[in-house]
Amino acid sequence: MNDTVLVLSIASAVVAATPILFAALGEIITNRSGVMNLGIEGMMLVGAVIGFWAGNETGSLTIALLIGGLAGTGLALVHAVLAVTLRVDQTVSGLSLVIVGSGLSSFIGTSGEPSLLSARNGVDVTPLLPSALRDLPAVGPILFGHDAVVYVGLLAVAAATYVLNRTPQGLALRAVGEDPAAADSAGISVVRMRYIATAVGGFGAGVGGAYLTVAIVGTWQNGLTAGIGWIAVALVILAGWRPWLAVAGALAFGGLNGLGFTLQLAQVNVPSDFLKMMPFIAAYLVVIMVSASPNRARRLAAPAALAQPYSREDR
Amino acid sequence: MRSRLRVTPRGFSGPAVRFGVPAAALIVALMFGAIILTIAGNDPFEAYRTMFDASLNGWNAIARTLALATPLILTGLAAAVAFQMRVYNIGGEGQLYLGAIAASWVGLALPSTTPMVLTLAAMIVAGAIAGALWALLAAIPKAYFNADEIITTLMLNFVALSLMNWLIFGSRSFWRDPRRPVPGGKRLTENAIMPSISGRMHIGIIIAVVAAILLWWVLRKTSWGFQVRTIGDSPRAARYAGMSVRVKTMAVLALSGALAAIAGVTEVSGITKGLEPIALTTNIGFTGIIVAVVARSNPLGVVPVSVFLAAIATSGSRLQSIGINVQVVLLLQGLIFLTVTAGEFFVTNRVSLSGSVKAATADGPSEIAEATA
Repeated sequence: MNDTVLVLSIASAVVAATPILFAALGEIITNRSGVMNLGIEGMMLVGAVIGFWAGNETGSLTIALLIGGLAGTGLALVHAVLAVTLRVDQTVSGLSLVIVGSGLSSFIGTSGEPSLLSARNGVDVTPLLPSALRDLPAVGPILFGHDAVVYVGLLAVAAATYVLNRTPQGLALRAVGEDPAAADSAGISVVRMRYIATAVGGFGAGVGGAYLTVAIVGTWQNGLTAGIGWIAVALVILAGWRPWLAVAGALAFGGLNGLGFTLQLAQVNVPSDFLKMMPFIAAYLVVIMVSASPNRARRLAAPAALAQPYSREDR
Repeated sequence: MRSRLRVTPRGFSGPAVRFGVPAAALIVALMFGAIILTIAGNDPFEAYRTMFDASLNGWNAIARTLALATPLILTGLAAAVAFQMRVYNIGGEGQLYLGAIAASWVGLALPSTTPMVLTLAAMIVAGAIAGALWALLAAIPKAYFNADEIITTLMLNFVALSLMNWLIFGSRSFWRDPRRPVPGGKRLTENAIMPSISGRMHIGIIIAVVAAILLWWVLRKTSWGFQVRTIGDSPRAARYAGMSVRVKTMAVLALSGALAAIAGVTEVSGITKGLEPIALTTNIGFTGIIVAVVARSNPLGVVPVSVFLAAIATSGSRLQSIGINVQVVLLLQGLIFLTVTAGEFFVTNRVSLSGSVKAATADGPSEIAEATA
């Protein structure tokens, strides 16, 4: 029964959810400090191309993801300089990083002879758990059949939840995102906290991008993320800025992304262009439904100081 | 003696600052670009000279640049009018596709004996309506539920792209030419094609410049424009003054969508001459946002900025012929976007080097950096 359509499609949804989850988790941490980073798509692209290159050079999945993550961090720090230090409009700054990330990744990906466009994937992605577990009916492929990164993603969610809710650093980060003036009075450095949170967010986006090229697609193409970074941004709103809810949302979007594969297996004929629309229509509807929700707590879940630059003089 | 960087907010930014800072930012972006080109093993001076020759040196080059500036002016205006109200229309790309789909439908459906003026007017109107309706899909939820228009307009881009691809690549639609072995759009008849002025440059450039002047006039000289700008500055004050923020939000986003869609009309009628998804997906909608930011949302500023960005974009193919990666075009656009955005800080703040710490603290400015001199 492990090769039935249902089991295979759920298992593939879990894998497709992983890059979205990393990016969304990073964005949640960034947002909770009061910084809006719309540049996720650009950071994922740069992480994807650099991670793919690193994977090619070293053959190591770990190094590919780390280098990809650091590339995302580098771009995120540019956003931090603009949004936190120079206090420019965070929407505009984030959008500019989408273009920079897209231009930079395409430039890197097509430079050199031969370029990464024709490179083959240098990384072997192997399942983490022994085949005894993987071969269990249904739960085997769905829960136990994945590479280590999928489980690391879940661990990262647990860690982020713990740090945000149960540690003084997490409290400080949330304070900076809710009421930076009060946090400042309490001796917390708003600027440092926001830089750290933005850097962590960029790392998540970079890792997500690298996982996409190295473990899922296996090649590099310009603009490879095709909107996944934006899905992650929308997912953060859907999840109400809570890490565990982002897992559920990422699975749903992962499932929608893999829907074409599923329907193909089930021999249902739907034009592929309509399948490609599905995650975006879903994100569109979800953002509207969350905004229209009569549940006030849900609408007010956004960090109070989100996207507002903080300046001591304006207090 | 220690000297510090002092940052003081400017109460008012004169024209020297408002125009000087973005101009300086452009130069900084070109310098960053030169560094990256050098790292990639290219000669940046040769690259920039080639770009200048390919885009601005000689009438043919200028005509090519203006052909590309045409849709950029329109998507730039689309982003600018929304910015004026502090609304972000990131959906220019999708609205452009809808404009192209609607205009090519009208152009193909009208008999080829219809006079050109009528045909082109009908295509523009149809495109504008389609773009406005597409923008309203984001504007109505924004006006009634405060749904984030950045996300909704952006998601609709991907939907519009798939829709256009389906019309040509995924179905036997009215738009698709069944006789062509490689899927492509039916070719428009002569009466539905915007006449060329010189080479690729067509009368769309006139439409775009007129639109810029009209939009400037509406925003600066009419009470409607005044209200839009007031809402942008302070929605609460505007509401107290009895302005309907909800209606204006929808109207401005619809206008923005219509302008972006007209860019789709001029492209489909003047350049691709049929619904050609690949030729239409060249990031024009997104580049319009860069245009609006660099032009600081001023409709008249949009025109020269569009020409500048079009000059960079149009030189891509020539760069390739001398062995420089064509993707440097997108990278340069991004760098310009970035440095101009950063430059906004210097438009609103005065940064100066002060000799003594005492003087710096006396008027209470902040210190963002300190250095020992």
